[in-house]
Amino acid sequence: MSESHTPVFRRAVVALAGEPGDERIVRLVSELARPIHGELAAVHVVEVGWSLPLDADIAGRSEEVQRILDNAESVAEESKVRLESVLLQARDVGAALVDEATERQADLLVLGLPYRKRFGGDFAIGRTIPYVLKNAPCAVWVVREPIPEDQP
Amino acid sequence: MIGGRRPLRGRKLADRRVRVERPHSPYFRYTGPGQLVAKAAASGPTTPSGRLLARIRGHLFGRPLAMEEEVGERLPKKKALAIFSSDAISSSAYATEEILRVLVLASAGAILVSIEIAVAIALLLAVVAVSYRQICRAYPNGGGAYAVAKENIGGIASLVAAAALLIDYVMTVAVSTASAIAQTYSVIPSLYEIRIEIAVIAIALITIANLRGLRESGNIFAVPTYLFVGLALLMVGLGSVRIATGGAVDIAQPDAVPLGTEGIGLFLLLKAFASGSVALTGTEAIANGVPAFKPPESRNAANTLVAMAVLLAILFIGITVVADGFGILPTTEGGQTVVALVASAVFGASSPLFYAFQASTALILFLAANTSFNAFPRLAALLAEDGYMPRQFSFRGDRLAFSWGIVLLAAIAAALLAAFDGNTTALIPLYAVGVFVTFTLSQSGMIRHWARERGPGWAWRATINAIGGILTLVVLIVVATVKFVDGAYLVVILIPTLVAVMLFIQRQYARSARELAIRPDYVAGPPIREERVIVPVPGINRAVIQAVNVARSIADDVRAVYIFDQPDRVESVRADWERQVPGVSLVVIESPYRALAGPLIAYLDVLDHAWPTDRPEPITFVVIPEYVAKSWWERILYNQSARRLRTLLLGRPHTVVVNVPYRREDPEAFEQARPGAAAGRDTSG
Repeated sequence: MSESHTPVFRRAVVALAGEPGDERIVRLVSELARPIHGELAAVHVVEVGWSLPLDADIAGRSEEVQRILDNAESVAEESKVRLESVLLQARDVGAALVDEATERQADLLVLGLPYRKRFGGDFAIGRTIPYVLKNAPCAVWVVREPIPEDQP
Repeated sequence: MIGGRRPLRGRKLADRRVRVERPHSPYFRYTGPGQLVAKAAASGPTTPSGRLLARIRGHLFGRPLAMEEEVGERLPKKKALAIFSSDAISSSAYATEEILRVLVLASAGAILVSIEIAVAIALLLAVVAVSYRQICRAYPNGGGAYAVAKENIGGIASLVAAAALLIDYVMTVAVSTASAIAQTYSVIPSLYEIRIEIAVIAIALITIANLRGLRESGNIFAVPTYLFVGLALLMVGLGSVRIATGGAVDIAQPDAVPLGTEGIGLFLLLKAFASGSVALTGTEAIANGVPAFKPPESRNAANTLVAMAVLLAILFIGITVVADGFGILPTTEGGQTVVALVASAVFGASSPLFYAFQASTALILFLAANTSFNAFPRLAALLAEDGYMPRQFSFRGDRLAFSWGIVLLAAIAAALLAAFDGNTTALIPLYAVGVFVTFTLSQSGMIRHWARERGPGWAWRATINAIGGILTLVVLIVVATVKFVDGAYLVVILIPTLVAVMLFIQRQYARSARELAIRPDYVAGPPIREERVIVPVPGINRAVIQAVNVARSIADDVRAVYIFDQPDRVESVRADWERQVPGVSLVVIESPYRALAGPLIAYLDVLDHAWPTDRPEPITFVVIPEYVAKSWWERILYNQSARRLRTLLLGRPHTVVVNVPYRREDPEAFEQARPGAAAGRDTSG
């Protein structure tokens, strides 16, 4: 796909990390989805440690978690795009995202790559992005957060 | 708001995940800690009939709009001139006729004075326009007469201004619609017979458009004004040329009002001047709408005001001169309007230009009526916010319009039109008084404004407003005097009445606010009063048991009260009660006069009297069991006694009424709530 082409997708899964960059990613994908009437699902995964049962009442009780998805819905609405919000609990975020994309037959999975200012500043690639890149059944976009201007 | 959790399998055994339901999501959105915003679905109907009604409303008025969808558009001068001036400029369509209808009472020579009167009114317009230019500059946030009077004079004066404005807006709708219809039947005379019906339909259509949240900023609203101005200027120009070249001949008018025999005295001249002064209506619209202009708002508004005044003066004097040149007289009831006769004489009775002019005149007059649908509800909302009108007037409807104000305006204007038989001339005496009251109060307020501010040039600015104020006051006195018996007395009575009503409403609100107010240092403590619960029961059934369970969750002191008029059933009811509802005492009251509510309330009074006087009065909860009817006809069959009881108990001191509805869908829940039901399930399982 050349850079000048508008990417085409029917269904996209947007991973929300609860970071400030979520809004930018949802806006970007919404703007792309609008002209092609693409379907969007915003997924936020709450990782549950092995010491708790997987269906423990964690995410449903947290207003903060709900707010992450509500904000995404709100941003998509501004772009006049319908977005389904999905809240998951899983042992591993990467696996849950890949499974959700597989189940929804998504042809695009979008993740954000946040920039951490600590320790001189670097992109926090973590283990989720490499897992998704390796296992996703569809195209994967990693949207890099801009490097703050005050960083060297 | 805790949702369910649905387990889902992953590609690998260890990759299971759980989808957490979000039950709030369709109805609310979290925006902060403990803070929710309701979505449209939260206000949506839940019953089939409600949904049907919402669909009909949606088709008629459009989908509900959120606050953030409000459009705030700044207008360039050309567009603002068209939108804000339609009211003022359209009055040139009937002002000349109103002068002629007075002068026709005298001899033919009196008709010639119409030009001098029109010039005098134009001079008055110039003074008013210059005064209002000052308001544009002093009040960049919009200087309606109410706002100016409230800030600078205060008290009753501002309410007088508000009352006069409200009347003015109603009259604008009535007069403009009546005149628009008159222009229509000037072309199609057969429409005269159904003029009231047409007027009511026109008002209904404007009302629906405004309830849909009509925006006046669209280009479509500029078209009728410029079309009318263009054609009217062409008509005045062609007419003047024909008069100047001697080509103007008196037209034949078989239905002209016969000339009178009255002498042309001062009273007649003043009356003609008062009638023609309706040309000034709508002059204040630009000063009210300064914030809608593009920056620099005040300067653009002031310049637009001058352009509007110049155009209005040219059209008004021009139409009067041409009417005079062609010897045009007003017609008898149902005949052509003076402006239609002028157009017919200049363009030709069957020329396309004549029809185009008549259509544009009707359109600009409807547009003028529409301007009040914007202004009246806004003023009513302002008054409601200040506590002078019922609060409903400040609530916005589904489409962000002040629906109450719109509907009230439409209802009064339609009623006025019907009452005055759709006759413009009959309505005019009611119009001018309110207009000149607002002019005078605005100018008076401005004098105090300049005197208080004392900025550069305050003295000459105050002088301009003083001249305007004195002149409009004189005209007000003239208009009110000479038009008094013709109908102005109604306004003279109505303004103080409206002021009295507004003061009454304000005092009511102020009193209730005082009664409800708490001191800033007050902190709510734990409840210290005792509670008791009374459950009126008609016997034993599921609804009663559910109500008793609710009662037991409120307080320990629960009494069921059974009021009967058939003694033979009492023993069996008591026996069943003790067996089936143990632990709740049953009080039985015989009612030989078959009343239910009276004996119950008397029993509550007795309980109150029996309470020790050294302890604070307890709160009495009256828990009423109710059977929920599914359809409207079922509602007639059930809960009549409960409804009556609830009405009677409303406002009883220290009494709280609790309705406990029993739904048909509840039997399963009822069975599950039965003590021992769970044990029963366990054993069977």
